[in-house]
Amino acid sequence: MNFLPRFRLILPVMLAALLGAQAAPAAPRDDLLAPVCTGAFGDQMAALQSIARYGVEGGGDAAAWALRVVEAFDGRALRCGADAAFIETGDALLSAATLEPVSAAEAGELSSPSVNLRLRAVSASAAGLLTLMTAPDPAAREAALKVVSKRREAVTADLLERIAAAEADPGLKQAVSELHASMLLNDPDPQNRIQAIRAIGQTASQRNLSLLTQAMSAEKDPQVAAEAQSVIAGIERTLAAGKLMSVLYSGMSYASILFLAALGLAVIFGLMGVINLAQGELIMIGAYSTWLVQEGLRAAAPGLLDYYLILAIPVSFAASAAVGIAMEALIIRRLYTRPLMTLLATWAISLLLINTVRVVFGSQNLEFHQPGYVSGGVQVLGDFIMTMNRLFAIGIAVVAFVAVLWLLRRTMFGLNIRAVTQNREMAGAAGIDTRRIDWMTFGLGSGLAGLAGLALSPLYNVNPNMGANFIVDSFMVVVLGGVGSLLGAVLAALGIGQINVVIEPVYGAVAAKVLVLLLIIGFIQWRPEGLFAPKGRR
Amino acid sequence: MSDARVHHPGLFRATAGAIAVIAVALPILGGVMGGISPYFANIIGQIATFALLAVALDLIWGYAGILSLGHGLFFAMGGYLIAMHLLKAGFEFSGITPDFMIFMGWSEFPGFWAGLEHFPYALALIVLLPGALALVYGFVSFRSRVSGVYFAIITQALTYIAMLLMFRNDTGFGGNNGMTGFAEVLGQPIGAPSVVIGLATVSVLLLLAGFLFAGWLTGTSFGRLLIAIRDDEARLRFLGYETLWPKLAIWSLSAVLAALAGALYVPQVGIINPRLLSPDLSIEIAVWVALGGRGALSGAVIGAVIISALKFWLSGFAPDLWPFILAGVVLVVVVVLPNGLLDLRGLLRQHPALGNILSEKRNG
Repeated sequence: MNFLPRFRLILPVMLAALLGAQAAPAAPRDDLLAPVCTGAFGDQMAALQSIARYGVEGGGDAAAWALRVVEAFDGRALRCGADAAFIETGDALLSAATLEPVSAAEAGELSSPSVNLRLRAVSASAAGLLTLMTAPDPAAREAALKVVSKRREAVTADLLERIAAAEADPGLKQAVSELHASMLLNDPDPQNRIQAIRAIGQTASQRNLSLLTQAMSAEKDPQVAAEAQSVIAGIERTLAAGKLMSVLYSGMSYASILFLAALGLAVIFGLMGVINLAQGELIMIGAYSTWLVQEGLRAAAPGLLDYYLILAIPVSFAASAAVGIAMEALIIRRLYTRPLMTLLATWAISLLLINTVRVVFGSQNLEFHQPGYVSGGVQVLGDFIMTMNRLFAIGIAVVAFVAVLWLLRRTMFGLNIRAVTQNREMAGAAGIDTRRIDWMTFGLGSGLAGLAGLALSPLYNVNPNMGANFIVDSFMVVVLGGVGSLLGAVLAALGIGQINVVIEPVYGAVAAKVLVLLLIIGFIQWRPEGLFAPKGRR
Repeated sequence: MSDARVHHPGLFRATAGAIAVIAVALPILGGVMGGISPYFANIIGQIATFALLAVALDLIWGYAGILSLGHGLFFAMGGYLIAMHLLKAGFEFSGITPDFMIFMGWSEFPGFWAGLEHFPYALALIVLLPGALALVYGFVSFRSRVSGVYFAIITQALTYIAMLLMFRNDTGFGGNNGMTGFAEVLGQPIGAPSVVIGLATVSVLLLLAGFLFAGWLTGTSFGRLLIAIRDDEARLRFLGYETLWPKLAIWSLSAVLAALAGALYVPQVGIINPRLLSPDLSIEIAVWVALGGRGALSGAVIGAVIISALKFWLSGFAPDLWPFILAGVVLVVVVVLPNGLLDLRGLLRQHPALGNILSEKRNG
């Protein structure tokens, strides 16, 4: 029970400090200033540090005051009177405690406090610290941070922690936090260093990892070193998990675009045996109509510009669906008995679409506005940030999947599609207008490609040739997933999307594509009709 | 599927005769009398290689019913091998360092270039490598009974893989710049008029040989087997035929013909790069055959000649127009003329009035 006496001692002091701070704001300023004028060198230094602390802890007005005082000291504009300090500004004289003007007569006889190089260093450091806290311009704060990281005479870890907490700019906040952590790591007390290591271990990031590794390479104390080792190992585990999640996540977003494109292909192929080589261009049309919605809003209703991605959902679907229906009505329906010819015909249509768009819009990449809801992201684990633009693509794919599932399983239209897919003649005999089902399905499949174009516009380049980047992979999804199988398409899209992003960072983009294609060529040998083909003897 | 394809023996003889006349006229007019400029002869030579490529594709698509959207791969293999031979020979015998080696900072050729300076070895590779690739690829695919659009798609995938690999600079095939700067062919300066005309003549002669050979082959019982495979492979299998071997044979033969065409094309055009492997070019080959009429060798030649000539002519003054024209041609062919231009005769027969208008125009 020997901590009680000490506790009794501390409590009144803390209470007094609290009460004093609240009761008379001006009085402590006088107390803070006094040693600057009268004290010995050590007292002066301590006084400047206290003023900086007072400013940082008090914030706002207190910080402005403290900055004014240390700058005056640094600029040799501080004057000492008999029992108060003053700041000389050109022709006027201010009270250093209140910053109110005072007459020379009131001030009495003035002297300058003694200033040497080491005191100047303290005052410069304090001024930097206070500027870092108060300057409205981020560039000025950044400059102040440079000063502070070089001159640490008035800087303590807890003050930096406060400043980091108040900093609004994310980049600067990170930089201040790092400076804070590195200060803690260099603390002479091993217990404090362990505390610092644990504190840093709270957030697992690449920066913190390198910070710890760097600091601990010179660590002598075995206890601290052991603690650092375990924290570093923990961070590495979290980072690895975060990296895995981030790879899976970007794979999922790629897969959702592939899925949207492939879903349309699969439905059309399943129904009519038509492989639509223009599906990539229908994606492009979706992306271009999204861009047109954006430009239309910019011209007509700039206030709604942020919502263009939402407003473009029906537009991109309708635009691609209209092109698809026109294709079906004019060309494809004449070719149902000649599937290989539809390959050529749809290729010709894709050539036509690419070049028409090139002539009308030019071949440069389109500029897309990034509204708030698709920029930034949520930090989940380690360096894994769940970015909103990818979440948007995944969300659209999920909604489209559910909608198509509902359409196929729960509506009359879906029932008709399934009937015509299974047996066209029988369905026709049962009174289904197979022609109508054909063009409506073609429209549906094309519209889904349009949605893919919308979903990818915040993520990928949009230009007339963009379709080629997706068409090969979407084919592979159809081929792998089998015809007319929603589940097959989902699994194949996820598989191909993931393989692409998993291999890409290790072996490069070309190797990823080559491997995916080789795998699929091999797979076709094994199951020529895809993963989910209806069983039957060929 | 089983649309009765008319044989056109008259048209076949006429086409063969025309090719033979060009083969004879080229060296006489170009070399001796100077009636054909080397530039024009070069274009004729290039078109002849395209026509041979079309014949190769027609053999498998028109006769065996196997659509390959990857014949650009075999064409480019022949092209790459001959380009390697030309560069290696230029280096060994004249000391010319190829551009791509300077670009990569290499002082010697990668190991697999060894021996390519010898023409017989290069020629053997031009026949054997594409043939072997086609054999292996065809064997696994046909044995698994991959057919129709699935086969078309995976041949395109294979070509796409090759293009991606060839675009890399470290593979030793010239990367995205490809190979160019050929100086000599068989010890003769490649730009000399006599060499240009010689290459063109050889191309036309090879086309003639390939055309006649294909015509003979499709007339044999083997050719009938191919047509039977095209029209109803399942029934043929039930009748006790193993369809794997005839398909494999015609597929590999077609690949070798395509490679030979590529090996003649590249010295004439003077460059090869991975764009030759782009999916678009491979589809364009199918367009030639479809336009001319698949299942008729003359049709393949006519289609390749018309489209390539049109392309050469248009790229002179309206290159932007070309994709529109190509797309329009394809759409008209697939919708109006399912058997290509050969349907025109049928159309004329059905609509005598149309024929009269045409013949009146010709007379007037």
